[in-house]
Amino acid sequence: MSNFGMILENHKTKYTKMDIILNNVMPIPLASIQHGDDSIWGNFIELKASKHILLNASSGKGKSTFTMAVIGLRKDYDGIISFDGKNIKNYSSMDWTRIRQNKISVIYQDLQLFPNLSVAENLILKNSLTDVFSENEMLQMLEELEIDNKWQQKCGLLSMGQQQRVAIVRAMLQPFEWLIMDEPFSHLDIENAKKSMDMIDARCKDLNAGFVLTTLGDSHGYKYDQELKL
Amino acid sequence: MLNKLLFKNQDKKQLIIAIIGAFMGITFLITSIHYIIKVNDFGKGVDVFGPNTIIVQKKVTNASSLNLTKTDFSNKELQKIKNESFIVDVQPVISNNFDVSFETSDSLVPYFRTDVFIQTVDQKFLGVQTDQWHWKEGDDFVPMIMPREFLVMLNTFMCASGIPQISDELAKEVKFKFKIWNGKGMERVNARIVGFTNEVSSLLVPASFMKFGNDKYSDGTEQKITQIIIAGKESEFGLVEDLLNKKGLETKNAQMIVGRLKSVVGTLFIVVLGISIIAVLASGLVLIQYMQLLMSRNSYEVRTLLRLGYNPTDIIKSFFYYFIKIFGIVASLGLLVFFVFKYFLDEMFASGGLYIDTEMTYFSIISLLISYTIFALASFNTAKRGIFKQF
Repeated sequence: MSNFGMILENHKTKYTKMDIILNNVMPIPLASIQHGDDSIWGNFIELKASKHILLNASSGKGKSTFTMAVIGLRKDYDGIISFDGKNIKNYSSMDWTRIRQNKISVIYQDLQLFPNLSVAENLILKNSLTDVFSENEMLQMLEELEIDNKWQQKCGLLSMGQQQRVAIVRAMLQPFEWLIMDEPFSHLDIENAKKSMDMIDARCKDLNAGFVLTTLGDSHGYKYDQELKL
Repeated sequence: MLNKLLFKNQDKKQLIIAIIGAFMGITFLITSIHYIIKVNDFGKGVDVFGPNTIIVQKKVTNASSLNLTKTDFSNKELQKIKNESFIVDVQPVISNNFDVSFETSDSLVPYFRTDVFIQTVDQKFLGVQTDQWHWKEGDDFVPMIMPREFLVMLNTFMCASGIPQISDELAKEVKFKFKIWNGKGMERVNARIVGFTNEVSSLLVPASFMKFGNDKYSDGTEQKITQIIIAGKESEFGLVEDLLNKKGLETKNAQMIVGRLKSVVGTLFIVVLGISIIAVLASGLVLIQYMQLLMSRNSYEVRTLLRLGYNPTDIIKSFFYYFIKIFGIVASLGLLVFFVFKYFLDEMFASGGLYIDTEMTYFSIISLLISYTIFALASFNTAKRGIFKQF
């Protein structure tokens, strides 16, 4: 069992899982583009809890728009996105705070790290919200991805690949039912991408959580339950 | 950690400028309010009349001496003066229509007697306590307010007689008598001094005693109003002065000077207070603007924190606490510097012969608390708007 596997053994938790439904959702900037019958835009799509979903599309089709809309950062769309039947446009700021802390974790395409803070500070800042892992455990997670030696280094000084791995570890530092990943391995080589995916897989399995992996066409060889198009 | 993220990278120069501005505004506000109150209170209680209150009479001219013009006031004239916007109240000064003399009646002071002129003014113009200012037949004594110059004259007499002079307080303990009479009768009534005035040249007595004397011992001549008492609005004494000139009225010169000075000082203080308030508001605004700048500079950090699941209220609190702490330090420093200023200013006033009350004024502290509260509310609102804009 890997270090991360042992860490997860100590953090087994059970959550009530939520389904995500997109009912005829059409982002306004994408309304002029023709979308197919299997596209998530303009159709009824149900993302079942705990499922592993691959969202495959070329650039400019709305992968990041999907991420931003599901996490409540964009509201410029028609149709309804609902979690367990509740329209997310009706959520209050407190609802979103709770969801972002406990229900949905995100690896953003632009990583959203704090460049002036160290790797440790970036991780502690996230972990302090739910206090899921100890500092030592976080360090072990970095070690899994071979960046534990960057613990005290400012994020802004790391390479993009290293930053991407920090963002992946940070996304693990909370309980979640869904992990939304917006091109999470775009700066990683195959080996590091595989290590990262293994970590993600283990964490999702542990939490019985689902994920949505958006990609530019390559499935990176990962197993998934459902493939969606844009 | 949150504070390190949000407040570490900021332009300290701008913060320091904002702090200096706020500090100066606060110090200026407390100092000016304190001295507005103290200087305004200066001289209060020295005289029995309220501020901006004067006794006036018509100027005696050659024509009036030849009975060509009147020196008394009609009710119509009184009403006309009362209708002026800058006049608070006008009442006639009632004089004695009987003979009256004033004498000492105390074994502690030598016998002294003189004919006097007594007057009465409405109670509301006087600063003496109501329970002291009444008289009815059978009472132990008639309370009276004595012209200070009368006491000076009395002391001159004492001095000339080789007797120790008496102070204001001692004079209030001395027993006096009024002798009132006409051709048909005479009586003596005990009297006591309850206050002094610089503004009237006659002895002031309660209206009930005046009515008693006028009813019982009147010499039969018609009672005329030759003097009136006027209360003008604060800071508008210049208008009262204009009215007096226009209507050919005159008052004691000293009263005019005091009234004019108080009016000028009052106006000046309102200007100073206005400037102080503007200074504090402007400096508060500078700090609030700095807060907006800081939030705008940290918009990425704030947005990312919200995306990570940070509660917007916690981020609002971080900004709010940071800025109220700064303003708190500024306010405390302002208060401290005010005490230093106060020490030197009080010394300066004292060396100039102005012994103003050196106690701290509540209004200065209240003004500081009000400024702090307004700043706290503005900070909270600014932080709230700024953070939710990023949500």
